[in-house]
Order: sequence, then structure tokens, then C-alpha cells
Amino acid sequence: MLSRLRSLLYLLPQFWRMLFTRPVTVRYPFAPLKLPSYFRGKVTIDPELCRGCGMCARDCPAFALELERESRDNFRLIHYHDRCAYCGQCEASCNFGAIKLVNEFVPAAPQRDTLSRVMVRRDNEEA
Amino acid sequence: MTKITIPIGPQHPALKEPLSFLLTVEGEQILDSALRIGYVHRGLERICQNRNYVQNVHVVERVCGICSHIHTTTYCQGVEALLGLQVPPRALYLRTLLCELERIHSHLLWLGVLAEYIGFTTIFMYAWRDREIVLDIMEELSGGRVAHAANVIGGVSIDADEAHVASILDRLDVLERQIKLFLDLIRRERSFQARTRGVGHLSAEQIRRYCVVGPAARASGVDVDLRRDAPYAAYKWLNFQVITAEEGDVWARTMVRVLETIESLHMCRQLLTELPAGPLTVRAPRRVPPGEVVSRTEAPRGELIYYIRSDGSDRPARVKIRTPTLTTLITLHDQLAGVHTADVPVVLAGVDLCIACADR
Amino acid sequence: MTEWLSVLFALLVFPGFGFLLACALAFQWIDRRVEARLQGRVGPPWFQPLADLIKLLAKEDVLPVGANEIACAALPMVSLAAVLTAALYIPVGGWVARTFEGDLIVVLFLLSIPALAYFLAGWLSVSVYSVVGGSRSLLQFFSYEVPFLMALSGPAILSGSWSISRIAAQQSQAVWLALVQPLGFLLALVGLIGKLKRSPFDIPKAKSEIVAGPLTEFSGRKLALWHLTMHIQMVVGIFLLVNLFLGGSDVGVTIPGVLIFGIKALFILLMLSVASALYARLRIDQLANIGWRVLAPLALAQMLATIWIGGG
Repeated sequence: MLSRLRSLLYLLPQFWRMLFTRPVTVRYPFAPLKLPSYFRGKVTIDPELCRGCGMCARDCPAFALELERESRDNFRLIHYHDRCAYCGQCEASCNFGAIKLVNEFVPAAPQRDTLSRVMVRRDNEEA
Repeated sequence: MTKITIPIGPQHPALKEPLSFLLTVEGEQILDSALRIGYVHRGLERICQNRNYVQNVHVVERVCGICSHIHTTTYCQGVEALLGLQVPPRALYLRTLLCELERIHSHLLWLGVLAEYIGFTTIFMYAWRDREIVLDIMEELSGGRVAHAANVIGGVSIDADEAHVASILDRLDVLERQIKLFLDLIRRERSFQARTRGVGHLSAEQIRRYCVVGPAARASGVDVDLRRDAPYAAYKWLNFQVITAEEGDVWARTMVRVLETIESLHMCRQLLTELPAGPLTVRAPRRVPPGEVVSRTEAPRGELIYYIRSDGSDRPARVKIRTPTLTTLITLHDQLAGVHTADVPVVLAGVDLCIACADR
Repeated sequence: MTEWLSVLFALLVFPGFGFLLACALAFQWIDRRVEARLQGRVGPPWFQPLADLIKLLAKEDVLPVGANEIACAALPMVSLAAVLTAALYIPVGGWVARTFEGDLIVVLFLLSIPALAYFLAGWLSVSVYSVVGGSRSLLQFFSYEVPFLMALSGPAILSGSWSISRIAAQQSQAVWLALVQPLGFLLALVGLIGKLKRSPFDIPKAKSEIVAGPLTEFSGRKLALWHLTMHIQMVVGIFLLVNLFLGGSDVGVTIPGVLIFGIKALFILLMLSVASALYARLRIDQLANIGWRVLAPLALAQMLATIWIGGG
């Protein structure tokens, strides 16, 4: 009889406990969201370290990185946020540690062209 | 009574992914069903042929939005076999750890979906709340909640230090308490049983005829599990049980999946406490010698098969993906015959369809 | 002149449309908040029900080709009118707009009009989902209505009156009828859940099975009126149970009386919220089974016992 009643009102003890526990809802975007340090978010490229070797562009599965090279020291590396899949392959492929995926969200944009693009440009005239 | 035709899908509240059914219904009883798939075909196998082996790791990760890691594991395993690479044990352990965490996440997600289909929103909320624990662990380990990008050819790109291992072990204990609650509820709660017992029954004979794999097969008493039958990654060093049940209905599938979740938790504990030291990767050449390979793993939904053929270049000549959902889709016609219209979502949930996997 | 004004006041403000609208929105918010809390969520902010209503009222109103437009426009209005009329006979905090001997029967009749309109809405709006939902709602109607009516007749027989306000008033001198007839109270609650099509008896509008049941093809103002009908029906149903089983306001028309009445109503609302979080949705054949094999015999036994005791 008692076990029958228990099977009918099974969740009631759980409900009682829920009254004394905080809800798990995260109030994002009204409250900040904690991102782990390894989070693969925004792509940053360090212009000092980038040598324009193009390994990142070769390994990018989404073709989000483009390297335009005129000579050994004249190149442009462009990262398109709208194509990026944030897989982190560029970071792994970069031999010079120039690309980092930092734990920040990339803000949404209403149009593709208004999305920010990271661009690294080097025009070494003195070389 | 007159026969009417009810369309379920491609857009329907009971479907998280597009597939389409035409149900012929008399009263509330289903006489016939016609299935149509292919709404989320993305041509991923062809895309794989246009990209190099490194890029393809991330392409196959996007075959499925739930079991993404198992796809890269199967793919990397195949390419490593072609290359003849010996993956270091620490990498295998971490790879397996993510596989098992993913199984927990997939099964809890499935439990939530089933609960929502039968109108049990509380269990839906609880299951997805507890799934967050696993997702958080995976996000900390790899940097992504679902797309982990953890596998590379020749190893893994993730690592866990001792403090991290301890914190994960603590959270797994919390998770185990919650899952025990679900287990008890499934065994006892009346309304849950009323909706799942005897629904979507498949006999062991039908399972063998349709080559059904995974938890759906194990719930009908067919004891298949690649983790034990053909151990890959770190499974040969682990102690675990293969869960089976005899009933073959949606309730038995629920039991098998929830018990498997607990078994996966135990495996995660073993993997974390016995985590060997050593390197994480071995260097993999970019060009793969000619040859072909079949790589098999036990995905959360069952046996996943990759066939990879190489022609000696840095791009695969063919990548063929056979996902476990494909086998279960065929059984739906048998399962739906004669059931009540109210049970259609229960049957659909019971086999744990992943349409994105099946359509690729 | 003052006679007219008081009638208008009763119709539009208290206990008519204005008051019921406010109650419906507040009850809906409390219900959603409580259920969310039990499930570990936060729930919507207080203005969410109002925002939902305004949003629906402002949305485009479309009907599929072939649907009976006049009927589809009239049905939500008729059912809303029926529910609002029923509210006139139900004492709120001891105060009642209209009363006569036998108003309980009129109220019960008026409260069953939305269920029939709901069925017709499903039948007339040409979608397979609404046809299935409509036939389910009719089957559900037959399952809960009989035990519900028999359970509600208990207090009337014991009090020897079919007037809601008189049944409520009698209890304030004696004891709450929920204590005399706990079984009847429970059956009435179950019946009310079935009447309001709330989970676990939300079978006619089961989202994962038949989209939204009879209301699948409704949108905009018509859907807003349907939702309003359901929510006001919940308020009226809860008030009815408070009066019949929990003794109404206990102390007549005073400020504490209104407060006591409100607390009792919230208690029943809480029970409804907990019940909706507690179970999986039943199948229509399971509900029919429970209705006829469990609820109806229990209600019949309860009613016969009441007649025997009350008559003896």
C-alpha cells in the first residue's frame, strides 16, 4: 500500500528538496557567464609573431583564413569571423604561436560584412 | 471508421531533427507508416574528399551535434591505422574519457527528450540540468561544449592536470547521485511506466534481422558492444559490464541507457585515476600511404563504422560513414504498426534517432 | 440608473472581466513560477502572461482555406462569454453578484460549454491534428465530467442546497466539506485538472503528439481569446472548489475574509501546479480507463454514501 502510494507520488520528496535549492538557471546575458580558460572563442592573431607562412590557411577546414602574399615580407592574413568554426586548428597548426583562441565570445552581427575581421598586415619596406 | 493520413514532420514539435512520416491512422490506431529521410543531407562524405586529413578531423566532428567526439575518434583511429602510428597511452586514455563523458551526455539528453515526449517536463528539466555537469567538464577539458576538437591524428590536443582530475572526480560523484534518482524513478514511477512499458517492442529475432546495434539491440537481449567485443582506444585496460535487458520495449531501452550511464561514470573514474603519464601525440605525416581501412567504434547509439581509402596524397580518396541510426530507422515501420498515435513520439524517442548522423 | 451602473460594474470590473483577467494573469504567473521552481528553474517574470496576451492580440490572424471562419471566430468568444457568465454566480471572498437556488447546476453547465466549443473548434478548422485533438477532447470530456459532477454534488446534497453561496455559508458555521469528504475533494481536483486540460491530462493538446490539438490552426486574437478562456476557466474552477469544499471566505465579506479566500485559492492552485509537475502525460485510453474504472465508481460510492448519511 505504502509503496503503491510512493509510486504514485514519486517526485514529491524531490520537490520538497527543490524548495531549498537554488535554481540552476543562468541569467545570461543579464549576468556574466564564466568561461573556462581553455574556451575556444575569439581568434586573435599576434602581428609581431606572424611570419605569413600560411600553415593556418592550409589547415583551416572552413577556409576562414586567407593569406595574400606579394613577397616574402609583404603579406596580409585575414580571418573571417563569419566562416570560422572555432575549431582551433589554426592555433594548433601555427608553428610560431601567433594565433590564439581566447575565452571571449564573438559578438553577433546583423550582416556578414559588418562582422569584424582580424587582419594582419606587414609591409616591410626596409627589408 | 475512416482512415486519415497524419503527417509527422519534417517540421513537428516531436522532432528535434527533420524527418518525415506519413501515418495512416484509423481512429487512434496506426495502420501504416511511410518514412522519408534526407532533409539534412550536407554531403559531408564528398566534402571530406576535398579537404586534407587534418581538416577532415573537424569536418567529421560536425556529422553529429551530440556524439561529435566519437566521430573524430573513429576517423583518427582509421587514419592512424593507415599510417601505422602507435598512439601514446595517455592520449588513448583521454580520448576514451571524452568518449565516455559524451556517452553520459548523450544518454542524459536522450532521457530528457523521451521525458518531454511523454509530457514529463520535470524529468526533462532534471536530466538536462544534470547533463550540464558533463558539458561543463567537457568544456573545461577541450574548450567546447559539443565540438571538442580534442582528437588530432596521432593523439589528443587536450590535457588534464591533477587538480583538474580531482575536481572532475568530485563532480562525477554528484552526477552519480542524480542518475541513481533517475534509475529509481524509472523502476518505480507509475505514469512513466504507463507510457513506456510495452511500447515499441522489438524481439531479438527482429534485432538480428535488421542488424540493429547499440542500446536498442542490448535492450532486446542481443549482447553486442564493440567496447568489449573489439576493444579500441583504452577499453582493453578497463573493467566494465555490458548492460542488457530482455523486455525489448522503450522502458527496457531507458533502463539500459541509464544503467550504461552509471557504467560510464565508473569507467570515467578508472580512466581518471589510472591516467598514465607520457606524451599526448606522436608526429603524424601529412601524406597517407595508399590503402584502405575500416574503423569501428561503439558510439552512444551503437556501432559506428568509417571506411577510409587513401590514394597516397594528403586527401582521402573516399570516406564512408555508416552511423548506427541508419539501422534503427528501418525498424520504425515494424515498431509503429498497430500502436496508438500518442505513442508515436515515444517510439521515435525510444530508438534515439540522430537524423543528422543518418543523413550526413 | 444606479441599478444599471451596478450591473455594468459587476460585468466589467468585479467580479466580471477586469477582476477575472487580473486573477487569470496572476494565477498563470504563479503556476508557471511554482512549476519552474520545482524543476530547478527560475520561471518567467511577473509581466510575462500579460506580455504573451498582448503579443497574441497584436499578431496576424490567419485561418487555413476551408475552415469555417464564422464558427472559428464565434467559438472562442462564446466559450469566453460562458466562463465569464459562470463567474457571476460564484462568491468571491463571500461577495456574490447574482445568486439563486440551483446556480451550481447553471455554473456547471456553463463551464462545460468551453469543452464542447473546443471540440467543435478542432472539428471545423480542417487540420488533421485538430481533428484528432477534437475527438480526444470529447473522449476526455466524457471521462472526467461524470466523476467531476458526482463529486461536486456531494457538498450540495450534504448542505441540502444547490446554491453555491449557501453551500459556502453553511460550511462557515460547521466544518469544511473537504474534511468531511476528502475523497470527493480529491475527485473534484482530478476532474478539474481534466476540465482545464492541464498536465497530466493535457491529452487533447499534447504538443509532442498532435502539435496543439484543436487550436493548431488558430492564431492571433482568436488564439489569445482561447488562452484567456482557459486561464479564466482555471480561476473560476478554483474559486468553485474553494466555495464548495473549503468553506469560501469563512467570515463573510470582510478584508480578512477576502484574504482567507485568496489563500485557499492559492492552495488549490499550488496543488494543480504540483500535479502538473508530478506526472507524465497519460494516453487517452489510459485516461478513459482511469475515469470509468477508478474515478466514476469512487464518485458513485461517495455520492451514495452522502445520500445515505445525509438522508438518514
